[in-house]
Amino acid sequence: MIELWDLHKAFGPVKALDGLSFTVPDGRIVGLLGPNGAGKTTALRTLYGVLRPDAGTARVDGIDLSSHREAALERLGALPHALGLYPRLTTREHLLYFGRLHGIEESVLAGRVELLVEALGLQEVAERRTGGFSQGQKLRVALARALVHDPLNLVLDEPTAGLDVAGTRAFRTLLRRLRDEGRCILFSSHVMQEVSALCDEVVVIARGKVVAAGTTAELKANTGQADLEDAFVAAIGSEEGLE
Amino acid sequence: MNRFRALFQKEVRENLRDRRAIAMALLFPIIGPLILVVLVSTVARTTRGEIDAPVPIAIAGGDRAPNLVAFLVSNGARVSEAPADVERAVREGRLNVALVIPAEHEARLRDGRPAPVRLVVDDSRQSAQPQVMRARALLEGWSRQVGSLRLVARGIHPSVPEALAVETVDVATPESRAAVLLAVMPYFVVLALLLGGMYVAIDATAGERERQSLEPLLLNPVPRSHFVAAKVLATMTFAGAALLETLAGFALVPLLLPISTLGFSMRLDPGVLLRVGLLVLPLLALAASLQVLVAAQARSFKAAQASLSLMTMLPVLPGMVLAFAPAPDSPALMLVPTMAEQVLMQRLIRGQPIPFEYPIIAAAASLSLAAVAFWAAVRWFKSEKLLFGR
Repeated sequence: MIELWDLHKAFGPVKALDGLSFTVPDGRIVGLLGPNGAGKTTALRTLYGVLRPDAGTARVDGIDLSSHREAALERLGALPHALGLYPRLTTREHLLYFGRLHGIEESVLAGRVELLVEALGLQEVAERRTGGFSQGQKLRVALARALVHDPLNLVLDEPTAGLDVAGTRAFRTLLRRLRDEGRCILFSSHVMQEVSALCDEVVVIARGKVVAAGTTAELKANTGQADLEDAFVAAIGSEEGLE
Repeated sequence: MNRFRALFQKEVRENLRDRRAIAMALLFPIIGPLILVVLVSTVARTTRGEIDAPVPIAIAGGDRAPNLVAFLVSNGARVSEAPADVERAVREGRLNVALVIPAEHEARLRDGRPAPVRLVVDDSRQSAQPQVMRARALLEGWSRQVGSLRLVARGIHPSVPEALAVETVDVATPESRAAVLLAVMPYFVVLALLLGGMYVAIDATAGERERQSLEPLLLNPVPRSHFVAAKVLATMTFAGAALLETLAGFALVPLLLPISTLGFSMRLDPGVLLRVGLLVLPLLALAASLQVLVAAQARSFKAAQASLSLMTMLPVLPGMVLAFAPAPDSPALMLVPTMAEQVLMQRLIRGQPIPFEYPIIAAAASLSLAAVAFWAAVRWFKSEKLLFGR
């Protein structure tokens, strides 16, 4: 379970987060939807501990990020917006590296790497350096890397950017499977179709705070709009930064 | 500990696969010893030439002074007939030393008065200096010999006109003569140490940010200080390899050169080189910590490269000064990293004594500065700004 409570974060005069609060329960996929500059990436970065909030708390399975960062990170798998693979390391080396950084026993790690390579269809590129990989291959390596310590909580920052249709569909199937295993998944996007196709719940944010939340049906009902996109525009109060 | 090993292994493995990092760590360090070999063999050639080769002297009017010519030949001059325009030949560099014996020479010599000879040389030509000096010495030798004979003929002891008996004591030891050349060695040791790990330090920090792999890395449950320690240690590993290679190269120098026949000995034996290696170990830690600190704050790979190249130029200054001026002897000097190490290395290879507290002061100075740099780097890694650069 992921809980954000009253997060505030300012970069100079810019208020990136302005009292952001929401919860992602286990076994659910929650979409974080918002126009560009709404604070999605800042919220996620605060959640995985590379940014410190000015006020408020972020908790993973009840563990406070600001006081017990490392313990919280043990339970969190994250896919930052930039995948950031090492071009001179192979797929397997990526998984082993992050597995060891999570302190996983070598005997356990070997099996888990095999499992992930298979589950994500990486058999063919397992021993290849990631330098020349396609966007889809890179995404799968990065996702395998985020899952290597078998976290119950998963945070993804606009993961489908740059994926083709087949890749996107395979990715959705995979995320649903991870959810059905009982994990909680937080997923940021500014693409409407993406969110409506995949998420159990949507949190709409604008200017650093939540402006609407609920299932897509609830969202439409609350805003009195028949179409999710119209509901979204109604929620954020403008069409700025929409795609 | 396992997590730390994973961090360290990854930095080393990644850079071992990078041709630029390898080149910096393994190709460059050979250059220092190579330059020393070339320098020594060049100097050796000119030194040997000075002592053994006959001095070519072109003589005009040699038949007017047969005794003088005979003296020159028997004392190691190669005498030849001078061309018509002697001064032009010397000015144009076709001759280094020419001797003109004027017509009145014979008569004046017979009368016991100073007999004129004209030595034509180009004093501005450095390469001709040894020959000119030896030609002068030969002429003075003959002059003194004839003068003594004249005094004896008049019943005066030849030593009467000599009021001073000057004896020059040359205290240059073979080591100190070689040290002129070895002065380049400490500088190359420091340079190898700075350049060997430079690329790794950049790749592990600014490079990691540029590839955008820094953010995923920071998501791991590892204390930030571990990241810094692993990156510093990886940098030290490559710099250490460069250092070892340079020292091994310098150890080979005596094998490549016929040192014993050069008339000076070089203190580059394994014992001295081992002590040089130990001496610069604290500097290795300082260089790596500083490089990681500076490179981590750079906005991009290129910016980091520019800052670190500038940093590499800093120890050039003491290196240059030391190559030409004798090192001042002061404990305060030991407080200046790179300067202290270079002074001590100079003393080691010159075979000069080193006060026992000097290496301790130098190590303490370098290590405390390294600790400060490391602490600052950890602070930077804990700050949010790490992700964006300064």
